Amino acid sequence: MAEMKRIKVGTASCGIAAGAKAVLDGLRAKAGSVPVDEVGCMGHCYTEPMVEVELNDGSSVFYAGVNGSDKDIDGILSLSDNKRFTFPEKRSKLEKLLVTRLAGRINPVSMDEYKANGGFSALAKATSMSPEEVVNEVLASGLRGRGGAGFPTGRKWSFLAAKKEADKVLICNADEGDPGAFMDRSMMESVPYQVLEGMLIGAYATGATRLFIYCRAEYPLAIKHLNIAIAEMKKAGLNLLPGRTTPLEITIKEGAGAFVCGEETAMIHSLEGKRGTPRFRPPFPTDSGWNGLPTAINNVETYANIPVIFQIGAAEYSSIGTEKSKGTKIFALAGDVKTPGLVEVPMGITLGEIVYDIGGAEPGTVKAVQTGGPSGGCIPASEFGVKIDYDSLGALGAIMGSGGLIVIGNNRCMVETARYFLNFTRSESCGKCTFCRVGTTRMYEALERITTGKGSMADIEFLEDIAPKIKKGALCGLGQTAPNPALSTLRYFRNEYLAHVQDHVCEALACPALVDVAIDPSKCIQCKLCVKTCPVGAIDPVNNFSVDNSKCTKCNSCIEVCPKKAVSRVRKQSAK
Amino acid sequence: MNEAFSYLSEMEAEKGNLIKGLQLIQTREGYVSDDAIRAVAAYFGTPEAEVEGVLTFYAQFKRVKPGKYKISVCDGTACHIKGATQIRAWVQAELGIGDGQTTEDGLFSLQTVACLGCCSLAPVMSINGTVYGKLDRKSLSRILNEYKAKG
Amino acid sequence: MPEILFKIDGREAVAQPGETILTVASRMGIEIPTLCFNQKISKTTSCFVCVVKDIKTGKFLPSCSACPAPGQEIDASSDEVKDMRRTALSLLVSEHTGDCEAPCTLACPAHATVEEYVRAGRQGDFRKALEIIKKRIPLPMSIGRVCPRFCERDCRRNIDGRPVSINDVKRLSADMYYDDYMEDCKPLNGKKVAIVGAGPAGLSAAYYLRLEGVSSVLFEQMPEAGGMLRYGIPEFRLPKDTLRRELAHFGKMGGIEIRCNQTLGKDFTAEQLEKDFDAVILAVGSWASSSMRIPGEELAQGGIQWLGAIASANWQNCKNPGRTIVVGGGNTAIDCARTAIRLGGDVTIVYRRTRNEMPAQAIEVEEAMEEGVKFEFLTAPAALEKNDDGSLSLSCARMELGEPDASGRRSPVLIPGSEFKLAADTVISAIGQRTVVPAGFEASKRGIAVNADDFTCTGRKVFYAAGDCVSGPATVVEAVAAGRKAVLSILDAFQGIAHKEPYEFNISRGHWRSLAKEDLVYLRKISDAKRIEPEYIPMEERKTTFHELYPTFTQEQVSAEADRCIECSCTGKHDCLLRKHSQKYGVSSDAYKGSKPISAVDVRHKYIIHDKQKCIRCGTCVKVCGEVINKSLLALMKRGFHTMCDTAFGQGFPDYCVDCGACVKECPTGALDWKKKD
Repeated sequence: MAEMKRIKVGTASCGIAAGAKAVLDGLRAKAGSVPVDEVGCMGHCYTEPMVEVELNDGSSVFYAGVNGSDKDIDGILSLSDNKRFTFPEKRSKLEKLLVTRLAGRINPVSMDEYKANGGFSALAKATSMSPEEVVNEVLASGLRGRGGAGFPTGRKWSFLAAKKEADKVLICNADEGDPGAFMDRSMMESVPYQVLEGMLIGAYATGATRLFIYCRAEYPLAIKHLNIAIAEMKKAGLNLLPGRTTPLEITIKEGAGAFVCGEETAMIHSLEGKRGTPRFRPPFPTDSGWNGLPTAINNVETYANIPVIFQIGAAEYSSIGTEKSKGTKIFALAGDVKTPGLVEVPMGITLGEIVYDIGGAEPGTVKAVQTGGPSGGCIPASEFGVKIDYDSLGALGAIMGSGGLIVIGNNRCMVETARYFLNFTRSESCGKCTFCRVGTTRMYEALERITTGKGSMADIEFLEDIAPKIKKGALCGLGQTAPNPALSTLRYFRNEYLAHVQDHVCEALACPALVDVAIDPSKCIQCKLCVKTCPVGAIDPVNNFSVDNSKCTKCNSCIEVCPKKAVSRVRKQSAK
Repeated sequence: MNEAFSYLSEMEAEKGNLIKGLQLIQTREGYVSDDAIRAVAAYFGTPEAEVEGVLTFYAQFKRVKPGKYKISVCDGTACHIKGATQIRAWVQAELGIGDGQTTEDGLFSLQTVACLGCCSLAPVMSINGTVYGKLDRKSLSRILNEYKAKG
Repeated sequence: MPEILFKIDGREAVAQPGETILTVASRMGIEIPTLCFNQKISKTTSCFVCVVKDIKTGKFLPSCSACPAPGQEIDASSDEVKDMRRTALSLLVSEHTGDCEAPCTLACPAHATVEEYVRAGRQGDFRKALEIIKKRIPLPMSIGRVCPRFCERDCRRNIDGRPVSINDVKRLSADMYYDDYMEDCKPLNGKKVAIVGAGPAGLSAAYYLRLEGVSSVLFEQMPEAGGMLRYGIPEFRLPKDTLRRELAHFGKMGGIEIRCNQTLGKDFTAEQLEKDFDAVILAVGSWASSSMRIPGEELAQGGIQWLGAIASANWQNCKNPGRTIVVGGGNTAIDCARTAIRLGGDVTIVYRRTRNEMPAQAIEVEEAMEEGVKFEFLTAPAALEKNDDGSLSLSCARMELGEPDASGRRSPVLIPGSEFKLAADTVISAIGQRTVVPAGFEASKRGIAVNADDFTCTGRKVFYAAGDCVSGPATVVEAVAAGRKAVLSILDAFQGIAHKEPYEFNISRGHWRSLAKEDLVYLRKISDAKRIEPEYIPMEERKTTFHELYPTFTQEQVSAEADRCIECSCTGKHDCLLRKHSQKYGVSSDAYKGSKPISAVDVRHKYIIHDKQKCIRCGTCVKVCGEVINKSLLALMKRGFHTMCDTAFGQGFPDYCVDCGACVKECPTGALDWKKKD
């Protein structure tokens, strides 16, 4: 048997939350001379914590779902078969690990390791070209912004490059605000140098002198890794680009909790120390951005793509994907699937392949996916044959978005899902323009009425009337896309709306106002666990374990604690 | 400037650092008081009303002192469809506080947050930055009891 | 840089570099509404009321901020664009809380600006009060005595007591200045209108026509003018000397001729009028008594006819009606009963529902009771018979209240076996009146049929109709309002304009029943005195003479009473752009329903009121105070639906506010305003 060369433990946020620190400590205590390193996330978040054991023969053994117990630690160190992990075959076939190639495989903060795996070779190659050639290469690659809107990156860069000002600004949008997306977090935690290398190439190509990374404060580990990486790069002198006399200024700014700051003019205001409200464009940031300087903003994943383009060349890069959407896309797959996580797939793969083959969802158990988060839409299972690219998803009333992909099972309510998203957008609206500030709240209120059984057909008509107007009238992308979740669910799941409004029925039994809780006496063993758990005393043990539904808050505590699954939600008695 | 916030001088007094200044204060004090706003206004040469306007725009900032243990229940999409509403209701029931409130003993404060980025572990919450995933009724009680015991 | 050539509404447009679409459009005379646009400050781009459409891309642009692109085609006036503007306004209105107009003003059928004349009264300027009143009420002496006071029903002082005694401001103002007050009438322009009927509606029409320089001839079938005021309402409520004083004014105006003893169809015909006049207004009233539909009905007297006969006799030497039964629950029934009391009768009112359902004014029912009128509620007449001795016997049955009917009132249901008889010398049927529609005119359910838009009689171009003859029996104030509306339509017709009822946008904080004292805005310390009570003449005098019930209050009394007024209307109602545009775009105040942000009204500043409930969050004040005045006392706080303009720590304007009022001046609504009204 081959000797152990090195042990790697995935300690990105998801790994840590699953208990990776205990595994790390356990391994370090017992591994002796074998180095135990922290690495990022390989995307198989469903089975964290993950451990990779590198062997001297160049092969690796993987363990998954381990914990810090002696049994697991000893098992890993003896290369036992217990909890060994093999990559699911279907997923491996469909995935194309281009941008995430190094994620979870190298020590995120080690510059040497990044270099040893081809890191900064793209920068070297790019800086051997002229800035115009670099912009052209990115144009030729067909790369479109991965933040969601899909604007060609090369074109944006060409606008900034054309500006004659001495001071120019390049910003990395790391304010991953879509609730349900974590691609950018994972990239910054796992391969911070790759993101920064992309930014350096961008700075070289556009003539930018000042770089900002605007990162969510909720991502402390990402910020920590970026800070280390920036310090290391400065030490190595990488912040002084060839042909320049002044080093780049690189600053990390922490966002302070405002989804709207993902909009570029809002982000610029925030970077200026102001309220993060967008402004009307034009002027576009490339003409007047941060403190009036020409400014371009790209997303984390976009920057992470740049080194890949220069490593494999624009020609090969653009051979991947569909006609108008090139390269790969990283999706944060979550929701009602067996194996949620981060997946990197070539553009043009079908939604069904992601949901069923990669996510492991059983066909027939899923009714929709939500892409693009609060700005996107719900796509019904009947449309899962669609090849994913910017344009095909748009045609379905959804958007590519930044890559959040939430799978919605049959037991979820689509009206409640729309209400959830509108609640999100209305509370994240900056409040500046009328259509968004008031319009999203009015939409939310209508959806709230419908999900609480107080809705009427007038509410549905109102939603259908106001939604297109908000899309047309709102100032920025947030407002312009906010109606999408309601519009797409109305388009594909209108029957659910009608059931709520006309019959006061929530088929999914998800809307508390439209359900009762009942105990099946044939299953009940009268253990009284439910009675003890109920926070409002709604279950009467004397009176045949009946539930007083006027008291019940539908908190599900009883359902969760019942050992016999005797308690369940049922249709409200008063429903038609 | 108010002595209590003299540590603001760690950073350059340029307007672009205003939010960073507020973040620094919140890290140190746990919240941003009226006095802190006045100090930031004075340090950055910005009107008090404007500083308050900036601060109240962002969800991160607290205007009242939070509890010793800050519970953030994630209501990101994945967590939401996996039952975040229930998780929050259970926490509220166990601690007797509403969203944005602090327990009388000052031990716990509760807030709902947009997304902790641990969607694959949904539903999740974090307590003082430590993330707890795949929550259910039992694990939630256990975790809260551990913190209660610690005091 | 070269000029930019583009198109607005199909017209060639030229913009200098940097100019917005709004600037170019306004130069071309194309009107685009704006709220948040202000040239003194940097762009706010907040309200989106100024949207226009880029025809090629289909996108909507805020014209205040968007600069035109060469070759762009802008649509600034289509229905689609207007609909977007209306939507933006409706959304803004849906989060807006306030009272454009005071509820009293809105309640007044004639839309007299009540708050304004009450304020003039408070300030002791009763001449000014009269001037304001007469803009909508041409018969203030009469209405100041007989009005059922719609305004007082909706007065917000009802929240913590009783309403301001508004009508007494009118009565005093008119009494003081009626004889020497004269309005500015336009010179006569040669146009002539015939008015059939010199009652409130007809007189009102003549008045407003004359103000605009149009002369009129009123054809009155009775010997004296005044209509219901002269022949319906009894002397003790409206002394006829007072009425004559009021009517004398019409003669003084010049150009109003009243021809009495002229009956339509007898002394003149509609066709003659059509030939001799530029327009004809029918204001013939509603004088026929409704039938009780019981056997023996012919033995009863019609209420209005009975009153009319007594009025014709000037309340002198009239017969004692003896045991009198008045059937009905309206004002006419009460007037009959109280007249009968004064003639020495023993009076009982028979009404089929309860006191609560009576259409008559509560105060009059109370006064009638004080004067000794008896009531048989829940009683319906079944038959009327004449006894051998010449006396009458009214068979009645008891009723109980059942389900609500179309009017919302619970309808009476007969209790079987409850029949009984009432003996009487006189039975007066006062259960309602109806209109006798003149021959050749189409009838509606209530009277003469008119077109809702312009009040022309259906099928008769030059003929208009107004007052009770259109609406059925109503109040004097409703009649004068109708007379005025017909005049506005006629004046438009003279100009060749198709008349449309002007739309007035008003938003309300709500009816006083849904409000608490704390929900209201107080610009000054209001009097907490109790409502003034009239000093009635002695009861004996009341019961035996037709003397007026009580004298007009003194100036001191009325001014003190007016000090109880809260002055509910918005300080910004005359220059509020939100209201102006909403009016123009036909926005309904409840187009979109939903929650409104809760925020307090700040009246701590000495001169400025900051009513955040009226804020449209455009931040104009923030920028004016910051960019122009360099004080930065205001900022936008919070975000989303809860965004609000506020001072630091919500502590109000600090001492170093220089009271310059720049924020007040630029605020597009009444959110920031001077505390002073007028």
